[in-house]
Amino acid sequence: MNLLNYVPGDSFLHKLNPVTKLLAAFLYGIAAIICGNVFAEVGLIILMILISATCGIAKRAILLTRNLFFLGLIMFVIQLFFVRDGEPLAVIGGFVLFTTGGLKSALLLSLRVIAAMLPLMLLFAITQMNDLCNALVKRLHLPYRYAFIVTTAFRFVPIFATEFHDIQDAQKARGVDFDTKNIFRKIGLVAPLCVPLLVSSLKKVDVSAMSAEMRGFELRGYKSGYKEYPFGVRDLVTVAVLVALIAITALWGA
Amino acid sequence: MIRFENVSFGYSEKRPILNDLSFHIEKGDFVALIGANGAGKSTISRLVNGLLHPTKGHVYLNGKDTLKTPSSTLARDCGFLFQNPDRQICENTVKDEIAFSMKAQGWPSDLIADRTRAVLETFDLDPEWFPFSRSRGERQRIALASVLACEPGLLILDEPTTGLDYLECIRIMDHVTGLNQEKGVTVLMVSHDMELVQSYAKNVLVLNHGQILGQGPTNEMMKNVEVLKKARVLPAQIPELALRFGDEFKDVFTVEDMLAALRGRAGKGGAL
Ligand SMILES: Nc1ncnc2c1ncn2[C@@H]1O[C@H](COP(=O)(O)OP(=O)(O)O)[C@@H](O)[C@H]1O
Ligand SMILES: [Mg+2]
Repeated sequence: MNLLNYVPGDSFLHKLNPVTKLLAAFLYGIAAIICGNVFAEVGLIILMILISATCGIAKRAILLTRNLFFLGLIMFVIQLFFVRDGEPLAVIGGFVLFTTGGLKSALLLSLRVIAAMLPLMLLFAITQMNDLCNALVKRLHLPYRYAFIVTTAFRFVPIFATEFHDIQDAQKARGVDFDTKNIFRKIGLVAPLCVPLLVSSLKKVDVSAMSAEMRGFELRGYKSGYKEYPFGVRDLVTVAVLVALIAITALWGA
Repeated sequence: MIRFENVSFGYSEKRPILNDLSFHIEKGDFVALIGANGAGKSTISRLVNGLLHPTKGHVYLNGKDTLKTPSSTLARDCGFLFQNPDRQICENTVKDEIAFSMKAQGWPSDLIADRTRAVLETFDLDPEWFPFSRSRGERQRIALASVLACEPGLLILDEPTTGLDYLECIRIMDHVTGLNQEKGVTVLMVSHDMELVQSYAKNVLVLNHGQILGQGPTNEMMKNVEVLKKARVLPAQIPELALRFGDEFKDVFTVEDMLAALRGRAGKGGAL
């Protein structure tokens, strides 16, 4: 299952203006970043999963949390050994391995990474990239060129995933063993996968650029789209709730 | 060589692609797998070398069950030429690209050097070329050379000539036929180009919606209009013309045959 593609639906969040969705994901991220309390951070993650359930994507939220957990784990390990304040916790032969301060800040940072990334990842499930691009141009008068770059980058993710899979198959068919446990061999496998991917992406970019140019890409401005993206009460409520959320985490979780 | 036993397969549970399929291909055969787009040809070819696994039944390659053997091991018995050579080309020079498959399969280095030199010569390739900027036909030739350098006993070609010009196409197919006739390499070719199939394949396997409609010698299948029509493929032109001319032309399959038959008929004073 692809964790970043669009899931159609007509929940409250689905119906929001795409700009509001983006803003809301950012505000939620800010709340996660200013939050300084481990329990509040866990609360934010659980809250996000509950919110996803209202759009019918709870399963995806849980899978994403699990994947982000590995990223969090890396942050945890780094932080654990580099923050040295507080009481020593683990000592080996007179050498302080890590401290209470290290443990606390490592736990907080890794949870923070998960809580801040989750809403951005879930944004993809309820927003079509085309809509986001058009709405950014229409409502914020962002130059189409820049909106297009950002949204196209995301749109290409699933295409690259498929391409990557096909390249892997092609190399397997030549006898390349991707299941090897040998770490040096594994590093050697990067080139046969990444070189064809790079070459094919560069070719794709060339062709896409030409075809965009021929359809008047240069001429496109905020008046070009026919679809309007009005803000409604719904959007106002969402932003207000998120601002309140930031205020609460700032007060409670400091 | 290849044996499918009651094979079922689907990319998702909801939509089965192949249903209880059984057939086998003998060693030394040259089989064309034909059928319309989406018939399941590529799926079958990927089941043979273990890139896909059957959901029910078994696929055997040289007696090895593909479920129990990793595809990197099966690759030693089975070379695979894909439609798109750009998915495999990953080295900076043609000679490194050709050596790559042999290295991956753990060949000794002196043998690799020998084979690379030999293959470069047969395929008329310059060892120092930068493969990415060669023409489509040359890239496909580089890919085939890299596959054949490993001397596989079975060669699978998945629409190998799509996008190639006529000369490049003939060149590739002549190499393959040569290997089939001289070295006894088994060939399984996926194609929907009946002219190509008519000129090169010994036997044909007709596929439609994941089911085998017919299997038999190329000449026989080419005149089996009913099956071809059902499989939505366009028959080769000369056999079809011969069929329309009637019984007298029943042994006509190539341009040469047709010419001889027509001349014979004109010589006898018959009307054309
Ligand atoms: N990776 C895939 N995921 C899901 N469905 C697929 C995939 N590849 C092929 N299919 C489906 O399987 C069927 C057979 O495809 P394929 O074997 O590629 O046909 P052919 O090569 O004969 O044109 C098609 O209906 C196609 O849509
Ligand atoms: Mg195919």
